[in-house]
Parts: sequence; structure tokens; C-alpha cells
Amino acid sequence: MLSTLIWFPILGAIAIGFLPLPVARLKLITLTITGAVLLWTLWLMHQFDFNNPLFQFQEYIPWLEPLGLNYDLGVDGLSLPLLVLNSFLTWIAVYSSSEETPRPRLFYALILLVSGAVAGAFLAHNLLLFFLFYEVELIPFFLLIAIWGGENRGYAATKFLIYTAVSGALILAGFLGLIWSTGASSFAYESLAGQTLPLGLQILLLGVLLLGFGVKIPLVPLHTWLPDTYVAASSPVVILLGGVLAKLGAYGMLRFGLGLFPEAWVTLGPGLATWATVSVLYGATVAIAQKDIKRMVAYSSIGHMGYILLGAASLTALSLVGAVAQMVAHGLILAILFHLVGVVEAKVGTRELDVLNGLMNPIRGLPLVSALLVLSGMASAGIPGLVGFIAEFLVFQGSYSVFPLQTLLCVVGSGLTAVYFVILLNRTCFGRLDNAIAYFPKVEWRERVPALILAIIILFLGIQPTWLVRWSESTTTATVAAILPISTEQVAVQKIIQQ
Amino acid sequence: MTTTLVSPSPTQLPPSTHEFADIIHRLEAGGSMLPDTSENLMQIIGIYKAYAVPMDFYWRDLLYIAERVFLNPLPAFKYFLPKEYLDLPNHYAGDDADLRIWRGEASAHPELLEFMNKGEIQQKLPRLLHHLWHDRINMEFAEACMRAMFWHRRMYAPVNKFDAYLDTDEYKANADRAIRAYFEGNPVMLGLYKLFPDMFIEQVRQLSYYANLGLFWEVMAPVFFEMSDLYDEGKLKTVVEAMNFLVDGIFAIAGRPIYHHVQIRGEDYEIISKSKGFTWLYEAALPYVEAVFYRTSPFRGTKSYNAQARQVPAKQQDFHYGILYADVFPIGTAGIPPTLLMQDMMHFLPSYLVEYYKQHCRGEDDMLIQLGISFQRSMYNVTSAVIQALRTALLYPLDDPNPNHLTANRQFFEEQLDRFKRPEARLRDIQRQDYR
Repeated sequence: MLSTLIWFPILGAIAIGFLPLPVARLKLITLTITGAVLLWTLWLMHQFDFNNPLFQFQEYIPWLEPLGLNYDLGVDGLSLPLLVLNSFLTWIAVYSSSEETPRPRLFYALILLVSGAVAGAFLAHNLLLFFLFYEVELIPFFLLIAIWGGENRGYAATKFLIYTAVSGALILAGFLGLIWSTGASSFAYESLAGQTLPLGLQILLLGVLLLGFGVKIPLVPLHTWLPDTYVAASSPVVILLGGVLAKLGAYGMLRFGLGLFPEAWVTLGPGLATWATVSVLYGATVAIAQKDIKRMVAYSSIGHMGYILLGAASLTALSLVGAVAQMVAHGLILAILFHLVGVVEAKVGTRELDVLNGLMNPIRGLPLVSALLVLSGMASAGIPGLVGFIAEFLVFQGSYSVFPLQTLLCVVGSGLTAVYFVILLNRTCFGRLDNAIAYFPKVEWRERVPALILAIIILFLGIQPTWLVRWSESTTTATVAAILPISTEQVAVQKIIQQ
Repeated sequence: MTTTLVSPSPTQLPPSTHEFADIIHRLEAGGSMLPDTSENLMQIIGIYKAYAVPMDFYWRDLLYIAERVFLNPLPAFKYFLPKEYLDLPNHYAGDDADLRIWRGEASAHPELLEFMNKGEIQQKLPRLLHHLWHDRINMEFAEACMRAMFWHRRMYAPVNKFDAYLDTDEYKANADRAIRAYFEGNPVMLGLYKLFPDMFIEQVRQLSYYANLGLFWEVMAPVFFEMSDLYDEGKLKTVVEAMNFLVDGIFAIAGRPIYHHVQIRGEDYEIISKSKGFTWLYEAALPYVEAVFYRTSPFRGTKSYNAQARQVPAKQQDFHYGILYADVFPIGTAGIPPTLLMQDMMHFLPSYLVEYYKQHCRGEDDMLIQLGISFQRSMYNVTSAVIQALRTALLYPLDDPNPNHLTANRQFFEEQLDRFKRPEARLRDIQRQDYR
């Protein structure tokens, strides 16, 4: 059942790459494949028992047992929302790709390969299997940036490759360190989850993993690849980069950092919360200073990923479910923002804040795109009624009791989000459209549909947040409960019991 | 009615050093401010025709308001033109015309009648529903033009004697007679008149401007219809010919009297008698061009100005919010509410212009703006005709052998074009064909 999510797109990639399919139909074929994967994921979601915190639909095939590598898949409340996000955003990315994409065979094959690999990473129940899938998407992404990117794509792609390769090496080192120090014979997640290593060693291994996943998320100061890469990548690719790939880093941090080293995690909690706060404030303040709207959104992404770390570091049931919700919310919001920025760039020919103006003009501007940009900015700034508010509110509400200062500073960061989005929207959408340059091509429905779908989901989940958190609530609650003895909540519970 | 370009005489005068030297040389050669291209000609003629149809409604309704609605304190139905005014014969069209400019009928244009019948929705509904749905001719545009003329009084004085007359005792006495007759048997309104006589007189002055503009447009509508017909027949081939048709028309009709009569219970009250000698050119056409094309007011549209920050000129004659400066984007500025006129014109575009707009920018989606810019081009051509007419009336022929006379002509042209030096002016833009 789960294998379909991995192998159907990968087989699709092989078919598109090597079979003599008509070039004119490649986008349609890819859309069909990704649509089928999305439907399959939704069916899986329908079948998923969200009261069960454990792995479901498990698949196990012995593979290279002497190496401890087995084909071991499973899905729980942590991975399910991200699987859905991956399937959905892949479909959106393919839909939003241009009909005139050069070398479409390779482009769509790589997108499908990435989709399958990311699904594999989310589903892998074996550390080495996770690492393999984690690394598989590296080269496709490198090619997607280097071939179909914009200005400075070569530089950006190389930087991305180096950073991500180092990230992979650190993660592998962390996994191997865990295996060697525990003497385990298998990379199976469940056998390693109950390790009893000394706290110092745990902290060391966790630190290595945090650095590895921190590059992927990314967290300050490991983020410098992100602005260049996001700016250089084409819209469909950046939707996948920001919407899915960054979540892989956050997922890995939660699954393997928190899941394998809970004691060390709690010990490092204050430091992690502070790290999150630095990322949030840094991302927001640097975003304010940007003149390029794509770069501004890229820096906003750095800031918003910090909320996930804050929620995870606080380790309360509410903050953890907020962290998962933030992953989904951020993926959706970033996807719509990058899509809209891509449309603006394609139509107006610039992303410069000093040049853009008056796009809300109903006849010669991009009124619907501007309206959706306003909605996306509001969602990103955490305006109530939209999905961004729900996720941030859960994180803040859950974290305040544990790290009040860091939480308050992150709330300030959220306020700064409103500042740079007001700057962006004010300069881009409002004001007077200069009729000397306002001969922009019309926005086609094909270009509007992805943004409209994303906007509807952002609005729906903002109004009906139970559809956002119900899938992960039991898993996150169980995760917190499993490490209760050393958490703040446990202290409180113990006090109550003692009384 | 065709005129050929006068050959420029470069040997007699050195080239102009003005910012718009090329355009000045073109004017000196008898040309227009608008470049003479077939594309420009097609645009301006198509727009003249699209403008003339609603204008046929504007002039009739302006006269109806001035003559019949008069001081009705609740003029809710002033835009509901009675059949009598739809059938009112235009003095410059039809078999019985004083001077037949257009070869068509003197009563309301057939396209106008059809539109009034079914509107844009192409369905016959009660007139009130069409009105409330704004599926009608936007008289608000015509009234805005009238108010611009009324607000910018004293233009072209002392040549324009109309304004000064509105402040004379004779005018006040005439207005007083009409006011008392109109409110006869209405002690409330008569009492108010007793208390606030100036307010009522001022209202009558405004109504005199309704009549003024109505009489002006009564001439322009058949002029534009005829130009459109001539173009369709292949008899207007250049922008210069179109401009000269207007110049010839201006002189042919210059002496048409401007007056204001009111019909009250079947009796005719002459507030401004024809015998006063106010003429179409000096008392209507020139003030209209000045007020509507150049000046108007900065408080229309969606852009607001901060007068305290000196964003609005201190002197009215420095105002520059007319169509020659207008940003025809819906968000932006224009002295007249251009979107209303553009909306009206859109209903009557000739098919060749619709096809033309479909091929550019966003096709039908932004036709409103494209036609607004065509309107701007066409009004630069009308302004060129006015400038050439003024030069003819006040100065010297373009082929005058006396260099001093040519220098005077050039000075005149340069002064006229100085008004387009400000950045808002669209004169630079209309030189480019891709300004749409």
C-alpha cells in the first residue's frame, strides 16, 4: 500500500524518461501520475486511524540484513500530513509548470523521482533506508536548479549540492555513531528508539543530527544556501524545495533527533528554543531589508521554520502538534507565495520591489494574483482565519509555559512577518500602476488554478483546524508522553500525584 | 473639405529649439499634434463615431435639463429623456438643417435609440431598472464637463463675454422672472428664494452652462458622425484631413448663437437671449476645450491630492487634470471621470476598432483602457484643430512670406505646447504607436 507512493512516481519517472511518449503529452501524463499518487494518499488518509499513535500500514521486506538495511515502511501521525503535503505539492508543481518547459522529458522525470524519494524518506522505518531516500533526491534537485533555474543557477545549484551533501554526511555519521555506540546490528528504527546511551554521547550524536537536519531545514547560520537556491530555482522547483524538502529536514529532526535521543533533546531544549528564536528573528529582520520579493519570501521561510523548532523544543503536546501543523501550513503558504511570485515575475518581468507597483489594477494589472498575494501574506503573518494562525498559535500557546521569553520573541518575529508582508504588498499590489510599463500579458486560468486551490485549502484549514491536527495529535501526544519523566509536564504531573 | 499640408519653409526660420520642436514643425506645416499614420486615423475616427452616439444623448439631455427640468428641487428623472427631446431635430443634420454637416437624420441616432431600448444586457426592461443597473448613457460625464466649465469661469475673457454676462443685472432680472414663474403657486420655494436669492441665481447660472454645453455638443455630434461616414467612404485618408475637417467646421459654425431659454408651462422665458450675440466658438468651444481638455479639477477619480502639500496648483489656470493629461487607468487620476465616458463609448465602437483592440494588449479584457487612450489621441487632434483655428483667427497663414509673421506663428505654437511640458501630459506618449 505504502510502496505505491514511492514506486509509482519512480516508475513514472522511468517511463517518462525512457519510453517514447509524445513530448506534447508529457505534462498531462505527469499530472495523471501525480494525481493518481495524490488520490492514493488521500485514500490512505481516509483509511488512517488517527486515534492510533503507532505506525500503520507497515510493510517489511528483508533486504540486506547483514548491513541492517531492510525495506521497512510505516506511516504515523507525524509522517502522514507530510506525505499528503508531498503528493499535493508535487501535483501543484507539475500543474504550475510552463507548457514550454525546455527538455520536458528530463524535467518531469526528475520531479517524479523527487516525489518518490521524498515519500520514501517520510515512510522509511529504517535509518539507512531513510538515508538512501534522503540522498536520492539530492541529484535530481541539483539538476532541476542547474538546468531550469534562473540567474546564477549554476552557483546556486552547486551551493545547494555542497550543503546538502554535507548535511547527508552528518546525518549518516550520526546514524553510524548510534549504531556503533549501541552495538546494534540493524538500522531498524524501533530497535534503536529505546537506546540507553550515556547522556553526553546522546548529546553529541544529537548535535551531529541537528547540524545535518539543520542544514536542510535550514536554521541560522546553516541557511546561506537557501536564499540563493530559492531565488535561482524556477517556481515549480522552489515549491518543492520550500514546501517539501525543507519539511524533510524538520521531519528528520523530529523523527530521529527527538525520537532517538529524547533525553538529550530535553537537555538541549533551552538551547534549541533559543536557536529557533534566533532563526525566527534573523529571518524576519533580513526579509524586511530585501528588495527582491522572491528573496524576501525565501528569508521569511527561514523565519517560519524556526517556529517548528520552537514547538519541538518545548515538547508539550500542544507545541508538538503545533510544530507538525506549522510544517503543513508553511508548506502550503510557501507554495502559494512562490507560485504567485513566479507569476508576477513571468508577467511583469521583474521581482524588484522598487519597480513593482499597482498590480491590483483591475484591468491592466494582475488583480486576482494580487488579491491572492494579499491572502497569502496574511496567512504567513498569522492572521486569524487562515492556516498560518492556527499553526503559530498552537506553537506559541504550547511553548509559552516552557520557554516564555523565547516564545515572546518569536511572537515578535511573527509581528515582523506582518511588517515585511505589508511592505511587499504595499509596494507590489497597491499604488498607481505606471501606464508606461503596464502592458503585462494576461494571467491565464492555468496559472490561477494552483493558487486558487492552495488559497481554498489555506482558508479551509484556517477555519476548520481539526482537519489539520487530527492526524498527528495522537502521535505527538504519545511522543510527549513517552518522554514525560524528564519533561516539564511530568514534573507537574508528579507534583499532582504526590499531593 | 480636404486640405493639403503646407510645405514647411525651413529656409525662412531656423529650426525650433523647443522641447517639442518636431511637433511644432509639424504644426507649422499644417499638421496635427498627433502623428499622421493610418493607425492613428483609424483610431480617432472610430472613437469620434463612438463618442458621437452618447454625445447625441448628452446634448439633448443637457438642453432638456436647462429648459424643462430647470430648478426642480428633486430632479430624480432628469436623465429620463422624453420623446420630445429624442425627436428634437439637430440643427446640423437632416433635411431641414440650418447648416447640414451630417447627411444623416436630425432625430436621435438609431444606435442610441436601440441602446436606450435594450441597454447593454440586450433585454427590454422598465427604464428605471436599466437606470438603476447603470445600463444607460452616463450623463454624469456630461454634467462633470459642464461643472468644469462652470467652475473655471472667466476663461478667454474678454473675448468670451458669456461669463461676464451671467453677473449682470440684466441676467439676474431674466433669471428672477423665470424663477418666479417656475415656482408660481409654491410659497415654500418662493419663500426660500426670498431668503436665499443668490443660491437660486447661481443655480440658474449653472443651468445656463447646461444650455451652453448642450448647444456646443449639438454641433459636435453631427461633425463626428460625418467624419465617420467620410472615413467609411474612403474620403478621409489622413489625420491632417481629419483635423482640417474640424478646423473648417469650427469656422463654418463659429457664429452659432449660444443662448438659454426656459419653457415654463408652455411659455418661453429668455434668460440669455440669442440676440445677445454670444457665439459658439468664443463662448462655448474655446471655454470647453480649456476647461475639459486642459484643466478640470483634481478631485475626481480615486487618486486624491493633498492641496496643503501643494500638490494642487494655487491658480486655477494652472490646473492640468483634463483628458490631455489624464491617466485613463481606472485607478489613477483624471479631471473628468473618464471611465464613465469610456463605458459609454464602448457600447458604440465600430467593428474595425473592436477588431483592432482585440489584437493588442489584453484584447477585449482591457478594451476600456485602449479606447480611453484612443480617445486621448483623438482629443489631441481636436485640440490641434482648435490651435490651428486660433492661429488662423488671430495670427497669420502658415505660408505667409513675412518671416516676422512666421516667427509670431511659431511663438504661438511654442506657447501652446509649453502647456504639455509637464510630466503628466500625454503628448509625448501619443507620439508612440505602442502607447495603448
